[in-house]
Amino acid sequence: METKDASIISRRSLLRGAALAAVMVPLGVSLASCAGPSGGSGSGSAGGTKSADNPFGVAANSKVDAVIFDGGYGVDYVENAAKIMGGNKKLDGATAKISPSTKIAQELQPRFVGGNPPDLIDNSGANSIGWNTILDQLEDLTDVLESNNLEGTKISDTLYGGVKDPGTFGGKFVAINYFMTVFGLWYSSSLFEKDGYKVPTSWQDLKDLGAAAKAKGKYLFVWGKEAATYYQTLVIDSAVIQSGDDVRLPLENLKENCWSHPTLQSILTILYDLIQAGYMKPGGSGTQFTQAQSQWSLDEAALLYPSGSWIENEMKKQTADGFKMMGIPELPLDDKQTTPKGTMRAEAGEPFVVPTKAKNAAGGKELLRTMLSKEAATWTAKSKFAPTIVKGTVPDDAFGSTALASQIKMLDAAGENVFTIKSTNLYGMNSDQLPIWNSFLDGKMTVAEITKALQDLVDKVRNDSSVTKIEIK
Amino acid sequence: MTISGPGVSGAELDTAAVTAPRTGRRKAPRAGLPRKLTPDYISFLAVFFVLPVALFLVFVIWPFIQAVYVSLTNWTGFSPNMSFVGLDNFVRLFQDSAFMQAMANNALLAVVVPLVTIVIALLFASLITVGGPSHGQVRGLRGSTFYRVVSFFPYVIPAIVIAILWNMIYAPSGLLNGVLGVFGIDTNQFAWLGDQRTAMAASIFVMVWGMVGFYMVLFIAAIKGIPAETLEAARIDGAGRFRTVTSIMLPQIRDNVQTSYIYLGIAALDAFVYMAGLNSTGGPNNSTLVMSQYLFRTAFEKGQFGLATAMGVVLAVLSLAFAGIVMLVFRLIGGKDEGGRS
Repeated sequence: METKDASIISRRSLLRGAALAAVMVPLGVSLASCAGPSGGSGSGSAGGTKSADNPFGVAANSKVDAVIFDGGYGVDYVENAAKIMGGNKKLDGATAKISPSTKIAQELQPRFVGGNPPDLIDNSGANSIGWNTILDQLEDLTDVLESNNLEGTKISDTLYGGVKDPGTFGGKFVAINYFMTVFGLWYSSSLFEKDGYKVPTSWQDLKDLGAAAKAKGKYLFVWGKEAATYYQTLVIDSAVIQSGDDVRLPLENLKENCWSHPTLQSILTILYDLIQAGYMKPGGSGTQFTQAQSQWSLDEAALLYPSGSWIENEMKKQTADGFKMMGIPELPLDDKQTTPKGTMRAEAGEPFVVPTKAKNAAGGKELLRTMLSKEAATWTAKSKFAPTIVKGTVPDDAFGSTALASQIKMLDAAGENVFTIKSTNLYGMNSDQLPIWNSFLDGKMTVAEITKALQDLVDKVRNDSSVTKIEIK
Repeated sequence: MTISGPGVSGAELDTAAVTAPRTGRRKAPRAGLPRKLTPDYISFLAVFFVLPVALFLVFVIWPFIQAVYVSLTNWTGFSPNMSFVGLDNFVRLFQDSAFMQAMANNALLAVVVPLVTIVIALLFASLITVGGPSHGQVRGLRGSTFYRVVSFFPYVIPAIVIAILWNMIYAPSGLLNGVLGVFGIDTNQFAWLGDQRTAMAASIFVMVWGMVGFYMVLFIAAIKGIPAETLEAARIDGAGRFRTVTSIMLPQIRDNVQTSYIYLGIAALDAFVYMAGLNSTGGPNNSTLVMSQYLFRTAFEKGQFGLATAMGVVLAVLSLAFAGIVMLVFRLIGGKDEGGRS
C-alpha cells in the first residue's frame, strides 16, 4: 500500500484540490472577464464608397440590425422605412431587419457589454437605457441632419425647431428623436361648450374652473398612481413658461434650493389649495393610471388631464363618444409671463441612437435618413395620428383628429419657443419622485414638505459622486 | 483491509466506492485512502465527481463570486469598463434611507408572512385531518376533500396574476369597496393600496392568500404520515382535539413546519412579483417597497449595476442569516432530544 503512494491521489486531497479550484477558477475567470470584452473594433466592417446617394458609405448587400421599442407607436413605421430602404437601388441591396423589444435595457445590456450592439436602437419606454451610462458609446449623429433626404433637401431644413435639444447631452448630439410630443392640458371641447366652462389661461383661472366643475358634480383633475409625476411635469413646465431659464436651469443642473424658486412655490401653493378644496378626484394613489385616465376620457368625471400628446392614441378605445379632445399648452402662473406668448414644452420623443461599436453603423444612419424622408414621415404621421419631427406632413384636416389639429396649431404658434426638461429621465429620478407626488396629490403633504422631499432627492443625486453629471444648457 | 489489493476486480471496486460509508468500512483509516488510477476509477470520478463539481462551479459558485466582485465596482451595466471601489457601495447602501426602509419592509414581511401563513395552514390542515367527530375513527370535518381542493386554487394561479387581480379588487372603485358597500359600510372610495395605513397589510394579505393553500396540502400530507394508532391512543387516553394537535401532531411534523418557515421567509424576502404587481411604485411613502424592487430600479433605471449588485449580496446574506436563525430557533424550542438531526 505505501509503495503505491506516488501514483495515487487520496480522496481528501482530491476534495481539497477541488475546493481550492472552486475558489480560484471563477475568481480568475471573473477578473479576466472584467478586463475582457473590449473587442468589437468600432465600425470596422468594410464600408462602401460614400456618395451623394449613399452619404454614409453603406456597404453593398450589408444588413442593418435595428432594435425598436414596441410601445404606443409600434414598430411598423420603421418597418415601412426599412422597406423603402430595401427598395433603394442606389444602396446595392442593403437591407434592414427590425426586431421589436419592450425591454430595451434588459435585452441590450449583454450586447453592449459584449461589444456587439445593434446598428440602430429606439431607446425608449420605461425600461430604456439611462443616457449617462451609454453616452460615450454612441455615434454623433450631426452628419445625418447634415445630409440630404431621399427627396434631395438637407434634412436639418425640414425639421421642427428644437428637435436637437432632447438628443444632445453634454454638447454631443447622439439621439434623433423621431416623434414630436407636445405637453399640455387636455380637455373635451364638446363638454366645455355644453356645460359652459371657460378654457383657463393661467393658474389663477383654475380655482373658478374647479368650483364650476364641482357645481356639476365633477372634479377638475384626476390622477393615477404610476402617473402621479405628470403633475410634477405640469408644475415644472408651467413655472418655466412663467419665468423661463430662471427656473429651468437650476432644476436641470440639480442646484441647491432649486425647488424654492418663488414661481414654483406659488404654483405648488395653488395646486395645494385646489387639492384641499376637493377639486382633485381622491383615491388616485390606489388607482392604476389607465383607469384614472379613463375616468377623465370615458366617464368624464374630471375636466382636465395633464399629459403628453400620446394621450389621444393611448385612450383611443376608452374615449366617450363625442369627446372632442383638444389641448392647450401648460399654464403660466399669471398674465405676467416672461417668455414669449405661446412658449410651451414640446420635445421630440422616441430617441434613435447608433452605437459606435455597431458592425454596420453606416447602415443604421442610412435607415434613419430614410425614416426622415418626406415619404416615410408622411406615412408615419398618417398611420399614427402623430406628427414626426419632419414639418409639413400633416394636412389641415389632421386626418380628422381634433387633438392632432390642436397639436399642430400649438406647435406653429410656438415656433422656436419650445423647451424640454431632461434631468428627471437623465438621472432616473422618476420612481423616487412617484411616492412623494402620490402623497401630495392625496392631500397628505404640505407645500413645505413636498419642497423638502423633492429637494432632498435633487441633493442626493448631486452629492453622489458615482453619478456622472451632464451640464444642461 | 485495502481495496486496491491484488485480485480486486474493477467491478467490485466500483461497488465499493459507491457504498463506501458502510458500517464495516467506518473503521478503516480514512486519511489517505489510496486507490489505483484504473480507467474505470477515472471514468467513475469523471461522471460522479468532476462533472457535478464542474456544473456547480460554473452555474453556482462562479456567478456568486462574480456578483461579489461586481458589488465592489462602479459598473454602469452597459460598458465593458469598471473600476474597483472597495466597500463604497455597501457604505452607500446603509446610508440610503430608501434602501433601509425597503430592508425594514422585507424584515416585516419575513416575520409576518410565514407566521400567519403557517398558523392558518396548520389550522386548516388540522381541521381537515383530525377536526371531525370525536367518536369512531380519527378523521376530518365533513366535506374536507372539497375544502382541500378549493383552498389549493390560489396556488395554481401565477403570482403575477394574483397581484394584478387584487390590484383591481383593492382599487377605489373596485370589488372590495363594492362588497363593503353592499353590507352598508360606506368606505368613500377608500384606496386600500394607496393609503400608508393599509397598503402593507393589504399586500401581506394577498401573499398569505396566495400561499396558504399549498402549505395546507403540505401539512396534510405530513399529518397523514403520522401513524393513526398514535392519534387513536391519544384519544383513548382522553386527549381532546386541541391537545392532540399541540402535543401529538405538531412535534411530529416539526421538520415540515421548519422547512416551510424557511421557504416562506425566503419568498417574503424576495416578494418582488407580489409587490411589483400590487404597487409598482413602491406604495405610498415607499411603505411597500422591497429590496428586490429597489435593486431592479437601481440597475435598469439608474444604470448603477455595481450598487444594485451590492443590494443583491446583502439580500443573499440576509436570506442565509434568516435560514440560520430559523433553524437555531427550532433547535432551541424542542429539537434538543433529536441530537444532530435538524
